[in-house]
Amino acid sequence: MSGPIIKLENIWKIYQLGKVELPALRGVDLEIAPGGFVSIMGPSGSGKSTLLNMIGALDFPTKGKVYLKGKDISLFSEDELSQLRGRTIGFVFQEFNILPNLTALENVMLPMVFQGVLSEERKKRAEELLISVGLKDRIFHQPAELSAGERQRVAIARAFANDPEMVIADEPTGNLDSITGKKIMEILTDFHQKQGKTIVVVTHDPNIANYSEKIVNIKDGQIIINDKQSAEVL
Amino acid sequence: MSEINEYFKIALRNLKTRSLRSWLTILGIVIGIFLVISLLSLSEGIKKAINQQLETMGGDMIMVMPGSEENLMGMMMGGEVLEREDIMAIEKTKGVENVLIMSYRGIVVRYKEEAKMVFLTGLPWDQGLEILEKFQGWSLSEGRWPVPGKREVIVGKQWIIDIFKEKVRVDEEIVMKGRKFKVIGILNSLGNKSDDSNIYLDIGLYQDLTGEKRGSARVAMVKIEEGLSADKVAQDLKESLQKTRKRRFGEDTADFAVVTSEKIMGITNNVLGIIQSAIIFFASIAILVGGIGITNTMFTSIRERTREIGVMKAIGAKNSTVLTIFLIEAGIIGLVGGAGGIILGIICAKIIELYSQANPLFYFSVSVSPGLILFGLTFSLFVGCFAGFLPARQAARLKPVEALRRYE
Repeated sequence: MSGPIIKLENIWKIYQLGKVELPALRGVDLEIAPGGFVSIMGPSGSGKSTLLNMIGALDFPTKGKVYLKGKDISLFSEDELSQLRGRTIGFVFQEFNILPNLTALENVMLPMVFQGVLSEERKKRAEELLISVGLKDRIFHQPAELSAGERQRVAIARAFANDPEMVIADEPTGNLDSITGKKIMEILTDFHQKQGKTIVVVTHDPNIANYSEKIVNIKDGQIIINDKQSAEVL
Repeated sequence: MSEINEYFKIALRNLKTRSLRSWLTILGIVIGIFLVISLLSLSEGIKKAINQQLETMGGDMIMVMPGSEENLMGMMMGGEVLEREDIMAIEKTKGVENVLIMSYRGIVVRYKEEAKMVFLTGLPWDQGLEILEKFQGWSLSEGRWPVPGKREVIVGKQWIIDIFKEKVRVDEEIVMKGRKFKVIGILNSLGNKSDDSNIYLDIGLYQDLTGEKRGSARVAMVKIEEGLSADKVAQDLKESLQKTRKRRFGEDTADFAVVTSEKIMGITNNVLGIIQSAIIFFASIAILVGGIGITNTMFTSIRERTREIGVMKAIGAKNSTVLTIFLIEAGIIGLVGGAGGIILGIICAKIIELYSQANPLFYFSVSVSPGLILFGLTFSLFVGCFAGFLPARQAARLKPVEALRRYE
């Protein structure tokens, strides 16, 4: 693939809080190329979560264009976008966000259910993914029976369920101790290196950003520096 | 299709997780459907029993009773009687071929060591037997018809089944109000258990026993001449009776119910129809409240699971997927509530039926048709889905980013 997976073109996102307008993103341009490992860093309130929503095609900008695999997302219906997002992008959240009533296996199978993958195929793939993140013995466990690190591993396995081209991780180690956090980052790096997956990590932790090949800094809704050394600047 | 199975699994797990709330919501529907099923099956049973009884009357029979036609129950259970002169007027009316007078009341009958309350019917064996045999289909399975004036009774078929613990047999003695009577014959079934549970006595002896006036009767069954219109004869009978009363007492207001079997069937069906409508109305309110319960539960559930919905949408769930999952949840609540209501309703109706069978005065069978069960299930499923639709649509329309942001 030659073109970027996600391309943001002069993105503005303005939240309307009563009569006050709050610009979260101000004319952001960004491209995420296939196979990259990008960290988005920025202080609290800098607009990094909003930027993540744009990259993940979870939200529409107030102004500007978001292209997902070269296609303008504003032209998609909600359902079409959901389907495309489900196929192309995987998500890992700070709060893990795995469904509490489903087992680890069922959680990992869920994105495949939404894509209409056949039952046996999704089970096989989910099992393989859970084994690859080191949860062979936890396949049939409920989230309540798993540690925080294990839950995040389930979330990572789920993010890769539909074999997406890109996985976006929002503070994936934010709720974990440093050792577990390191393991999680190693798993993500492994997927990136072995399978050539594009990884976008939002973090405020320079140690996490160090795993990436490219760091995007955001401050006051604008990208200020866009290279590997920027972690030191912040 | 396999997706639907997964959606069912998710919906069921969600309901299980909040099991107390789910069961309480289900209870709301159970109560509504329970009311519908128990009361409708009871009223349908009563309707069938009455119609069955009326069908045995035949088409060219007219029933004459003192009292107002508007108040059928009061008339049947009331104390008014047809006087001897009234009966004579009936007999003289043009078009009347034969008249069978009857009186009836509940009475305690002792047989061996047991006592039971049953319906005692007084009949003139000499005059009435022809009508009973020819037009009402009475026949004896054992014994013979009583001799008028003798202390002999015949009993319905139920007497050799379960009226008393010990079966009653021909030539055995029973006791009513301290007087002994001989069971001389046992009737073949008259088609309904209520009639089959009766005891039949010569009307003269009946009046001696009960203290009712000699020559009077509660009801007169009139067999009309063939080819005549039952309605026309009924009209003539009414006029003739009113004339008699006026001549005797100067009463203008004397009221007689002169009804053909078809008319009685119409009246009872109307009355029961009104009762059934009222039942449906009140039960509908109960179901509506149950439905509101489902809506409330679903809204609460969606509020609690907003983040989950956001996650599902982020990982590829379409609006229709979320809608389906929540509709399945609401549908399950409705359906389980409906099934519970049906089971409880049938149990309750059967208990009442058993009670009525133990007490022959009020015998009837409940009527639980597969149609009623199917209606209960479909209706409860519909109520569940309908009540859950608004919350489910709200969940489906949530924007993933908003759902994920909320409760952060």
